Amino acid sequence: MKKALFQIFVISSIFSLLVAPCFGEALQDFEGQEGTIKIAGGTAHISVMKEAAKQIMTRYKDIVVTVAGGGSGLGIKQVGEGLVDIGNSGRKPKPEEIEKYKLKMFKWAIDGVGVVVNPANKVQSLTKNQLKDIFSGKIDNWSVLGGVKHAITVYTRDEASGTRAVFWKKALDKENISTKALFVPSNGAMKTAIANDPYAIGYVSVGHMDETVAPVALDGVTPTLDNVKSGQYKIARGLYSNTKSDPSGLTLLFINYLFSSEGQKIALEKGFIPVK
Amino acid sequence: MSNTKEIIARNVFFLSAIASAVMILAILVLMIALGIPLFKAGNFLAIWTGPWAPHKGLYGIWPMISGTLWIALLATALCMPLSLGASFVITSLGGPRLRRMLGTMVRFMTGIPTVIYGFVGIFLLVPLVREGIGGPGMCVLTAGMVLAILISPTMILFVTDSLLAVDLSYVQAAKALGANRVQRLLYVMVPRATGGMAAGIILALGRALGDTLIALMLAGNAIQAPRALLEPARTLTAHVALVKAADFDSLEFRSIFACGIVLYLFATTATVAVRVMLRKREVPT
Amino acid sequence: MQEVLEKLAVFLSWTMTLVLCLCLSIFLIYLLIKGLPSFGAELIFGKAEPLKVLLGQARVFDGIFPAMVGTFFLVLLSAVLALPVGVCSGIYLAEYASPVMKKLFGSLFDILAGIPSIVIGLFGFSLSIFLHNHFSDRFGPCLLISALSLAVLVIPYIVRSTQMSLEELPSDIRRTALALGATRLQNIAYVLIPNALSGISSGLFLAIGRCAEDTAVILLTGVVATAGVPSSLLSQYEALPFYIYYISSQYSNPAELSNGYGACLVLLGICSVLFMFAYGLKKHLSYRTLYRV
Repeated sequence: MKKALFQIFVISSIFSLLVAPCFGEALQDFEGQEGTIKIAGGTAHISVMKEAAKQIMTRYKDIVVTVAGGGSGLGIKQVGEGLVDIGNSGRKPKPEEIEKYKLKMFKWAIDGVGVVVNPANKVQSLTKNQLKDIFSGKIDNWSVLGGVKHAITVYTRDEASGTRAVFWKKALDKENISTKALFVPSNGAMKTAIANDPYAIGYVSVGHMDETVAPVALDGVTPTLDNVKSGQYKIARGLYSNTKSDPSGLTLLFINYLFSSEGQKIALEKGFIPVK
Repeated sequence: MSNTKEIIARNVFFLSAIASAVMILAILVLMIALGIPLFKAGNFLAIWTGPWAPHKGLYGIWPMISGTLWIALLATALCMPLSLGASFVITSLGGPRLRRMLGTMVRFMTGIPTVIYGFVGIFLLVPLVREGIGGPGMCVLTAGMVLAILISPTMILFVTDSLLAVDLSYVQAAKALGANRVQRLLYVMVPRATGGMAAGIILALGRALGDTLIALMLAGNAIQAPRALLEPARTLTAHVALVKAADFDSLEFRSIFACGIVLYLFATTATVAVRVMLRKREVPT
Repeated sequence: MQEVLEKLAVFLSWTMTLVLCLCLSIFLIYLLIKGLPSFGAELIFGKAEPLKVLLGQARVFDGIFPAMVGTFFLVLLSAVLALPVGVCSGIYLAEYASPVMKKLFGSLFDILAGIPSIVIGLFGFSLSIFLHNHFSDRFGPCLLISALSLAVLVIPYIVRSTQMSLEELPSDIRRTALALGATRLQNIAYVLIPNALSGISSGLFLAIGRCAEDTAVILLTGVVATAGVPSSLLSQYEALPFYIYYISSQYSNPAELSNGYGACLVLLGICSVLFMFAYGLKKHLSYRTLYRV
């Protein structure tokens, strides 16, 4: 038994020596720590959170990071109630939320919210007014916009979504969204839904866009990372990780990790604009 | 000594039964208690009959009640011919081997997880409906069809049971009078098993009303009372699953307790109806 | 006229049966075609080494191992919670209750069996928030709360199967030990329960199968997309049915989707084995417990 343990020790130390140079400073801070970090909320964040969790959990066996979605509203509420350690939001928490829960906000990336359609759709450019009419249900067939003769299927998110809040305010100027719109629970689900439905239109975090969906230019500006960065594309927002009062322990380490060069690299890889 | 043991044991058994039974009432009481802020906040009637528009402060769950009824009734309607047909084949029309095979198939179906029906529905049925019939694909029709398959074993097992429970002497008398298999089924067994068959249909309807995953995955979850089979809809169950995202103190969140109460009442009504029907025409076990 | 009607009834019955079989076959074949290619060690363990994972030395990120472990613990815990209460209640109903009590409890358990699982999930969720606000910050939606809620969900099945298999016992088995001077309790413990064991275990298998497949309850009570293998009763966890639900709406690449189909096959395998086992033990009794009120 002892021998076996020793062998494992030797093998794993050799292994970690070999791998160690790949990890930077911030990850090493987790050394010797144990416990759980519970994360919930914004669904745009999930890809980055999962990757960060994977990096940490692969290296440190005594740390567990759980990642759940639910939307920005849920993230803010749950961190405020102390149900999770980090509550993510794809919108800035409202002043009353900050005050009520004594939230500390950490904005670690910039993201945009863009309109997307299925790549098979010929309509890939809209004016803001057309967009409003589509989402309110006034325009209900693609043929009106020069596309195929088929009803438009509008996809939207629920009230807890930060992506919805940003889109509704900045793209729809707070105009109605039709009650016929189909609901999806997250950014990931929005992308999947649009990719599978040739007649769909929806809105999704720019970081989540890939070749399975086609971005729609709004008043001539395509929602891309570059256009968000340059400020040309206006529907932008920060990605926040919020904690209840000042973070400490593992939570602090995790926040630090997000702002470290590796954390910021993950954000970049997942399609967001790092803040540093 | 053993007398005390007896008494202790008896009480343990009794308390277990009480504890499990109390759960049922606790669930209802808790939901009503947690729903109270909503009932106090505004027009009581509007909660049940009004539209859902949280940004305007309207928290009516009528669209969800309507969606639930549409989908569950459609599923039951689609399921009835399937199940009655299959039950007739299992009880009389089929040969002994076929009956056994079908019986095994139906029991196997009871073990298929709901979420898998939903999964296959999304990738197989939704595109078919969208391209073949029209609409957004995720709609009342799609959910209803999958749900019909899901609840069919419930109905088949129940109907089969009540048909087979018909007193054999009637069947044999009919046989002696020269009635063939079909006639014995239609004129002897079915009329005597109507109570049990109706109970089976209601039980299946109860399952359809209470199912969450199929509607959540396949009906599109739009917040409107559907007016056609190809329109999307949201059921009460799906609403509960989706709105958990909101604020715990908000009226929006409280509305899911109203949904819970309605679901509870639907389910209980179905259960009571089944019991009443079975009492009318007692089926020996 | 009557003859036409009879012929029509026969024709329709066969057509409907055929349609049902066809639907089921398409469903299963589609699942097999899509799921089998992903079947293998990688589906479960991802890129990690299976042996290391089983020894707890490596963690799995792109396989369904954590979800399988989560489901396993969930099912185990729910069974442990539901079994004693369920069996004791069943014994009470079968052996002690007066006819009035029997009727009363019978209707209550029927009602409980009919309550939609999402309502029970909502109950569990409210309970966890209540515990969090009034007892300890450490409470929240978690494995324990999910298991408790699932136990409530399946208690009626266990009660029913226990009660029915006890009541089914012939009276000579019932009376022999009593005639020899055994007490009522001894009779139950040493004669009745052992004789009713197949019925009780059949009910247990049904309950386990139900726990393994249920998604609505855990959706509200603590299941999450990423959690790894659960570390304590109060931790959040992953589970197979939720994994399937999650993948269905938000897979990010074809590999994940095909893992989803693989997970469907795994769950289908687990559940159908459990259910068929239950039916094998006690065919009539078991599906009546589940499909009869």
